[in-house]
Amino acid sequence: MDIILNTGSTVYQGAIIKGGNKFTDGYTREAAYCNINPKDFDALGKPWFVRLTNEYGDSVVVRAKKTNTQQVGEVFVPRGIWANVVVTPETESTGSPKYKNLPIKIEKCEGPVMGPEELMRNYYSKGRKSDFYERTKYLDKKSGQKEH
Amino acid sequence: MNQLSLISEVRPAIKEVIRLEVSQLISNVSKVETVKAKQGKVKCTDVTCTVCGMSCDDIEVLMANDEITTKNACTIGDARFQVLLSHDRIVYPVVYGERQEWMRAVETAADMLIKAKRPLIFLGGETSTEAMAAGIEIAELLGGLVDGNSSICHGPTIMGLQNTGQVGCTLGECRNRSDLSIYWGCNPSESHPRHLSRHSMYNRGFFVEQGSRGRKMIVVDSRLSSTAALADLHVQIKPGSDYELLDALMVALRGEEVNEAVEKVTGVSMDTIDKLVDMVKACKFGVIWMGLGIASTRGKSHNPAIAMRLAQLCNDYTKFVILANRVECNDAGLNQVLTWTTGFPFAVDFSRGYPRYQPGEYTCVDAICRGEVDAVLSISADLGGHLPKKAVERLMNVPVVSIEVSPGPQAFVSDVILPGVIDGMECDGTFYRMDNVPIRARSFTEPPFEFTKSNEDTLRMLLKVIKQKKEDMEGR
Repeated sequence: MDIILNTGSTVYQGAIIKGGNKFTDGYTREAAYCNINPKDFDALGKPWFVRLTNEYGDSVVVRAKKTNTQQVGEVFVPRGIWANVVVTPETESTGSPKYKNLPIKIEKCEGPVMGPEELMRNYYSKGRKSDFYERTKYLDKKSGQKEH
Repeated sequence: MNQLSLISEVRPAIKEVIRLEVSQLISNVSKVETVKAKQGKVKCTDVTCTVCGMSCDDIEVLMANDEITTKNACTIGDARFQVLLSHDRIVYPVVYGERQEWMRAVETAADMLIKAKRPLIFLGGETSTEAMAAGIEIAELLGGLVDGNSSICHGPTIMGLQNTGQVGCTLGECRNRSDLSIYWGCNPSESHPRHLSRHSMYNRGFFVEQGSRGRKMIVVDSRLSSTAALADLHVQIKPGSDYELLDALMVALRGEEVNEAVEKVTGVSMDTIDKLVDMVKACKFGVIWMGLGIASTRGKSHNPAIAMRLAQLCNDYTKFVILANRVECNDAGLNQVLTWTTGFPFAVDFSRGYPRYQPGEYTCVDAICRGEVDAVLSISADLGGHLPKKAVERLMNVPVVSIEVSPGPQAFVSDVILPGVIDGMECDGTFYRMDNVPIRARSFTEPPFEFTKSNEDTLRMLLKVIKQKKEDMEGR
């Protein structure tokens, strides 16, 4: 189904990213969902999970939420690494990518939703040419500093 | 006796108490009263919150050895203060995934940046103004690009401002005078949780003594957001039709006939447009608060430009101003510092030795996606978590030096990570509020490491090393 994606901040997503908890389950809970109008929700077949796909074919799975806050034909995903998978980098010569009003495709799918580390490794790091630079990035070896 | 001299008098005595009771946690408290000193708790008042563009400066922090309690801070602000005692904090430098000594890490970072032909210095919105100035010096020395959070957030708003000019005011004026707030494309109850209660809606102002009963609220948003649910009038537009509605409002405001096609294009009825115009004309002091819904949507910089023209037109009938709800606490600071050092607000290129400005060419996302940038220095920005995937994929293949407080998606793209200091909490710093008023944030604690005192300190060290290395290379 063709639909318009808007991303934006929510207070709980804000508290998690500002609190430095970007590798926690809380981040997945607060940023990896999609608010859908009841009519669109029914048209999609009352899904638990939906797959959002942009014009480049990049896609991400998030939880589906039925809410009255959205208009028909429009969905909302909180700002974060899940939404950014489908956000396209065209800025219309302004520097600001298409965080709002982005035409995408939405479909019902099976879960699960990837956690932040898994998503970064499997999606964002996929295009990495490891032989290009024979070295490791920070999190190739470590997942955090717990000594503090 | 003025406040400053009072503080300096009180300070030595307090420091003594702190050393005894809270063991190195707090060093330099601006205004402190000790509460339950025997139990090792210290109360810091008038602390500045360095999270969102509001830079609330009335926060109270109650610090103990193992917990931090805040008063007046919102959910997001409180989360930021909790980072001070977080166990998940970057406290030592990391180079290629291995722990490294501080100076070795700084030298590696300097090498990466010197080797690059087109380095990008990205100054995050949580960086203090002083650190930003140091970052710009590095960019000038390297002949690189400088950009910051203000380009990926309110960059189009700044461009609109350059085209049209802004009728602005301070938040204090809004608090004391405004009887109509129009939130256009923003949801402050989620993004700036204290916005409504502190500056625009529920507080009692000098000329609006009744508080919320003396104020009206209009929300223009495609969603029924939590702010829209509180509004006197919610204008639910179709996504991407902001320009058309703003244009129609200007026509209606001038008393001319609005084309009926507007209803179909924007999804807003004529009655609603008339009602909105009546409310605008009836108010004594109106404010348009612009959010990212106006700057990031279709039309980009043209939307804020026409919104500013609307505010100018409203001044024919009543007093009206327009302000941008800046996302990060020092988004506006980057525009200020870059403007007074280079003459341009963001997207600056030093490759020819003098500053040039071109949004869409020198802006972070565009330059990275074109594959032009061959090294990145990112300061408190978490580019990995904020940029679109296509841009982050590019970052995976170039050397990236990051100054970060907590591990996050940025760690996946970084080759060198230098531990970041929380500016405004662990070191002093100046932050420009969303109304471009500078707020001096005074530190109330220290960073959990010895090798650097502030992000400015880190960048000055890096600058010194780069300078030295460049001189050595040229000497040879």
